[in-house]
Amino acid sequence: MENILSVRNLSTYFYMDEGVVAAVDDVSFDLSPKEVLGIVGETGSGKSVTVKSIMRLIKHPGKIVSGQIIYKGQDIMRFDEKEMYRIRGKEISMVFQDPMTSLNPLYTIGDQLMETIIQHQKVSKEEAYKRAVEMLGMVQIPEPEKRMKSYPFEFSGGMRQRVVIAIALSCNPSILIADEPTTALDVTIQAQILDLMKDLQQRLGTAMIFITHDLGVIASMAHRIIVMYGGKQMEVGSSDDVFYNPAHPYTHMLLRSIPRIDRKIDRLEPIPGQPPRMIDIPKVCPFLPRCPRNVDECNQKIPDMIEISQGHFVRCFNPVGGGN
Amino acid sequence: MTEILLSVKNLKKYFPVKQGFLIKRTVAEIKAVDDVSFDIEKGKTFALVGESGCGKTTVARTVLKLTNPTEGQIFFENTDISKFGYSELLPFRRKMQIVFQDPMSSLNPRMTIGQIVTEPMIFHKVARTKQEAYDRAKSLMEMVGLKAFHLDRYPHQFSGGQRQRIAIARAIAIEPEFLILDEPTSSLDVSVQAQIINLFLDFQERFRFSYLFISHNLGLVRFISHTVGIMYLGKIVELGETDEVFEEPLHPYSMALLSATPIPDPKVERSRQRIILKGGVPSPISRPSGCFFNPRCPYKMEICEKVYPEFRKVSENRWVACHLVK
Repeated sequence: MENILSVRNLSTYFYMDEGVVAAVDDVSFDLSPKEVLGIVGETGSGKSVTVKSIMRLIKHPGKIVSGQIIYKGQDIMRFDEKEMYRIRGKEISMVFQDPMTSLNPLYTIGDQLMETIIQHQKVSKEEAYKRAVEMLGMVQIPEPEKRMKSYPFEFSGGMRQRVVIAIALSCNPSILIADEPTTALDVTIQAQILDLMKDLQQRLGTAMIFITHDLGVIASMAHRIIVMYGGKQMEVGSSDDVFYNPAHPYTHMLLRSIPRIDRKIDRLEPIPGQPPRMIDIPKVCPFLPRCPRNVDECNQKIPDMIEISQGHFVRCFNPVGGGN
Repeated sequence: MTEILLSVKNLKKYFPVKQGFLIKRTVAEIKAVDDVSFDIEKGKTFALVGESGCGKTTVARTVLKLTNPTEGQIFFENTDISKFGYSELLPFRRKMQIVFQDPMSSLNPRMTIGQIVTEPMIFHKVARTKQEAYDRAKSLMEMVGLKAFHLDRYPHQFSGGQRQRIAIARAIAIEPEFLILDEPTSSLDVSVQAQIINLFLDFQERFRFSYLFISHNLGLVRFISHTVGIMYLGKIVELGETDEVFEEPLHPYSMALLSATPIPDPKVERSRQRIILKGGVPSPISRPSGCFFNPRCPYKMEICEKVYPEFRKVSENRWVACHLVK
């Protein structure tokens, strides 16, 4: 199947007073239509900067230093700001972590929904209104017509995130990017939102990039997973590959360090050391200082992404299980 | 023979809601903690879980007497400290410590690590001289996995995980018996979380610490705690041995909470039937009549809207507040 989005060798650096932070370094991946691609990683691993680079939302001192972003056959990296306006919200839309900061507190949610619809679609105000009510109904907000006149503060966190999702989907985008959409929510509300997103994704067939640091959430949402660490992709594969045959030592150790509710474990196996400080890091694998499987080659260069089985890639000289 | 270190009986903490411009009148009460009872055994961990606003942190603050309870008793080693004043509390304060969620705001940025760790020892006279305190601080640093030379540095020079180690060193510096761990790993990355949790387990084994572990991370609770209380709108709705509660939750809210927690295992996730609750947690100012969970409960009966169910012992180690559970 034709890919809807292809990211090639994307690098985004931040030029700080203390030095250069390679927040995203040589990231490449494809997204097929109707696919849910998960990006998992810890704070500072580069997952948010990756998607913000795709949307071209990087601000000074950050800079996209290289890469191509091919959306439906066009390299949107060459687009100017005016052309990007037509992409954002209409073709690719985004849901952020904190629904309070992504909604304007001074406008009713009806206004905010209609603004997006009118901006991108040639429709009358009446039609936009109808569409907005329909969207609120779709994200299961009770009494949608009445709630059009409400302000963001009148909604709970979960309801606000529903509104944000309604706005994001209001122009029928081909790709929805969700950046930690449930991190600020309680677990029972998280379950509601994940359930809604899964349902809408299947019904509308929107391709989705789903970012989270929660391995449980990623297991329930993603078809395919990218594991990021220190600005780089460490492993890419189907959800089952990554969870049941993790090849990168980081993935392998990460999965052993988390407790789960359905099993009694005696001991967690922590990953020793600290996540890398990202400033001016040497051109070797960022996981090297914490890795028990390091070999001589690791000190010399960064390993390439190698395909160890169909669609399962790993960036490691000494992958777990010999890479099989 | 079980030895109870801390026993909380019918603890209540109400906060007044005031209104008015010049003359403030109390118009309502937020019942943040409403008739909560539990015991913590020596050397064991009791966990309180629940969603934000359920009152778990208020329980912790009240147990430490950082805020005074509205009603109820707090027995520490069989002494009721609930009505003690500052000076009477001092000897108990030495035995109780807390580790907070955010190690950046709980460490004074203008003090060196050495000052931070030695201050409680000098205050509580655990060490006689500054030198003695400093020497002990050195060995404490080793115990929490840091180095003695770190004592001369400032908090901002450390990562989140290291800062939490410092907060732990400070907490155990005065040889407490009881530690409250209030979301101690919530601000840390997963790869670091396990290091800190294992540290708590090591110390429990070595020094027989008792913990009150507060968290919304159910995976961690299952791993670290021996007994667990599940809170909803200020009340404990279910209490029991952790493994039993996790394997067979009896209260519908416990079931929903466990069911809502994603498991890092795609095959399990694909085959799971999730209980999706309707709506959100009601406001603690206007709690529903009857059982507070009734508007969201999939098994609601008529009586649930009228009467709050009694918190009853239903088996050897299990207490539940639900009309359904016989």
